Amino acid sequence: MFKAIIESEKLKETIEAVSSIVDEAKINLTPDGISVKAVDPANVAMITLNLKSAAFEEFTATEGELGVDLNRLNDILGMAEKAEIVEIELDEESHKLVIGMSGLTYKISLLDPASIRKEPKVPQLELPARIVLTGTDLKRAVKAAEKVSDHMGMGIDGEIFYLEAEGDSDRMRLDMTKDQLISLEPGDARSLFSLDYLSDMVKSAGKANEVTIELGKDFPTMIKFQIAGGNGEVNYLLAPRIESD
Amino acid sequence: MPSLCVSCKGKGLCGRPACPILERFKSLGTTPKLSDNIFGASPPSVFVGRYGYPQVSAGPLVPPEVTGSDAAVYDSPGSWNNLSIRDIVGLRSGLVRSNIKFHVKDASNPDAMLQKTQELALSEKPVDTEVWFSKVPRVGLRFDGVLSPMGPAGEVTKLDIAQNPVVPRQVDKAVSDTDARAVDEIGELYNADITVDHINRLLSIGLLGKQRKIVPTRWSITATDDMVGKMLIDDIRYFPEVNDVLLYSGGLHGNHFEILVFPGAFAYELIEIWMPKAVWSTGATSVGSDWEDYGGKKGYSNLGGGYYAARLPVLEHLHRMHRSANVFAIREITPDYWAPLGVWVVREAAREAVSSVPVSFDSVNDALDDMSLRINTVSEMWRPESKLLDRKMNQKRLMDFL
Repeated sequence: MFKAIIESEKLKETIEAVSSIVDEAKINLTPDGISVKAVDPANVAMITLNLKSAAFEEFTATEGELGVDLNRLNDILGMAEKAEIVEIELDEESHKLVIGMSGLTYKISLLDPASIRKEPKVPQLELPARIVLTGTDLKRAVKAAEKVSDHMGMGIDGEIFYLEAEGDSDRMRLDMTKDQLISLEPGDARSLFSLDYLSDMVKSAGKANEVTIELGKDFPTMIKFQIAGGNGEVNYLLAPRIESD
Repeated sequence: MPSLCVSCKGKGLCGRPACPILERFKSLGTTPKLSDNIFGASPPSVFVGRYGYPQVSAGPLVPPEVTGSDAAVYDSPGSWNNLSIRDIVGLRSGLVRSNIKFHVKDASNPDAMLQKTQELALSEKPVDTEVWFSKVPRVGLRFDGVLSPMGPAGEVTKLDIAQNPVVPRQVDKAVSDTDARAVDEIGELYNADITVDHINRLLSIGLLGKQRKIVPTRWSITATDDMVGKMLIDDIRYFPEVNDVLLYSGGLHGNHFEILVFPGAFAYELIEIWMPKAVWSTGATSVGSDWEDYGGKKGYSNLGGGYYAARLPVLEHLHRMHRSANVFAIREITPDYWAPLGVWVVREAAREAVSSVPVSFDSVNDALDDMSLRINTVSEMWRPESKLLDRKMNQKRLMDFL
């Protein structure tokens, strides 16, 4: 059983964060809230997301799972105004999700959770460096990198966090010192990442006040931030590329 | 980037009044016996032009004095594998195109001539047809990047069908249902073993969907390839991944395919290499590429209709294998492809390749080395164009860190 009332913006944020990794997801329900764990088909990027019951105006759920076509849900949520209240309820009989917003009612078909990619094993990483910066700064760096290349390096040089990209003929580099960051725990770190994935991730991360990046040497990065006014957390993991030279 | 001529294929992007490449082939054909009244069996075949859209010219194609089952060969690319390019051009130049002006929206409310054209399009066997022209059709031969070559054409004054069309039950059902979406009907027809050429004919002459429209043939060919392809991908995504690295090789009329299949969630990439002296080439080798990942293709391919035509046989093959895979395909167009035959060549050449016995390799790198032996163009020119190979070689996966 699942019935919830939430501000549309919070739900949109949640769905958007997941849909930058997968098109279909299994949403886990517990009495304490909802969670998603999903990996992209190429096994390069992963999301774990939690949204606490406190993010909702009202929330009742028993243990269960919903198979959701995220593009479809995104599309429908697009009808809601920013601060509008959205009601969601699982119609167990027809196995449909009933979504209501100011008079409109949608019934969307759910996917068989068994048809959705299995939940991934999450690698346990001990990453030496930890950077906290604003979502806006991260988004700006990614946008700048896109202009010259398909991938971006992130690393630590002394007390500096740098982001750099190198194309066939052009380069981009952004150095951020400790006082330009929210916080910095330096360590031996330098990894290269595909911008295809990073660009999708910063669509959500870019809206957060604080984004935590954990980095290693040719290791996956962890990108962490809060959603729904602090009542939810998104954790992206992204595998690195091999440095070509 | 592909050169202008390679991506334009006679559409007129260079601004010249006539395509200098296409002009070269005009003398190739043989001229059928022409008068202002012809009788013959349409293979069956209909053509819809795109000039003047939404006011378009459309009508049946008829080989004069060829009747019965002999006519079928004129519009069945699947049976042309043993013909030379010259034979095919000769065959097509004997097919007379009848032009009748319609508005694309006439499809839902057809006049007598459109009704007859539609009736003919329903048939899976040749249909005896008589056409009266306003004057003797003008001798000519038309080539195009997407369409098969076409012979003389004339304005039609009267059209008669002298035989009942042979309509498969599924076709009859799809055409009489005006509440179903075209894309769903196309899926059902395909599943009922109606050929892609037949489906394309129905779509083009405005016999499918809710709000029916006549669709220019060059658009409907690619629309059909794409819609059938998408439907297959919807299944393939959920199939288990292949376990092996498999390489298929083959081709047709100077369109050589190397198709590499390796483990991974569904993704497909096509690299097109136009060698110097191949049709459309302008001196230098021209390389283009496009791909789609698991999520599917958004927007129209920069490689044009060939992308979708090559994809279809590959998807059909994966579907038959009940397997999902990463597919890296190369189409190298050699000087042997000296006259444009239409996009069906790409489809049939890829089909030829996937029906070969695959060779299995220990690694993608080994397969690429083997593939390079049969590709004339040095790998430095095409390897860097591949997004799929780049990801395979340079992108780590999360499972590598478990």
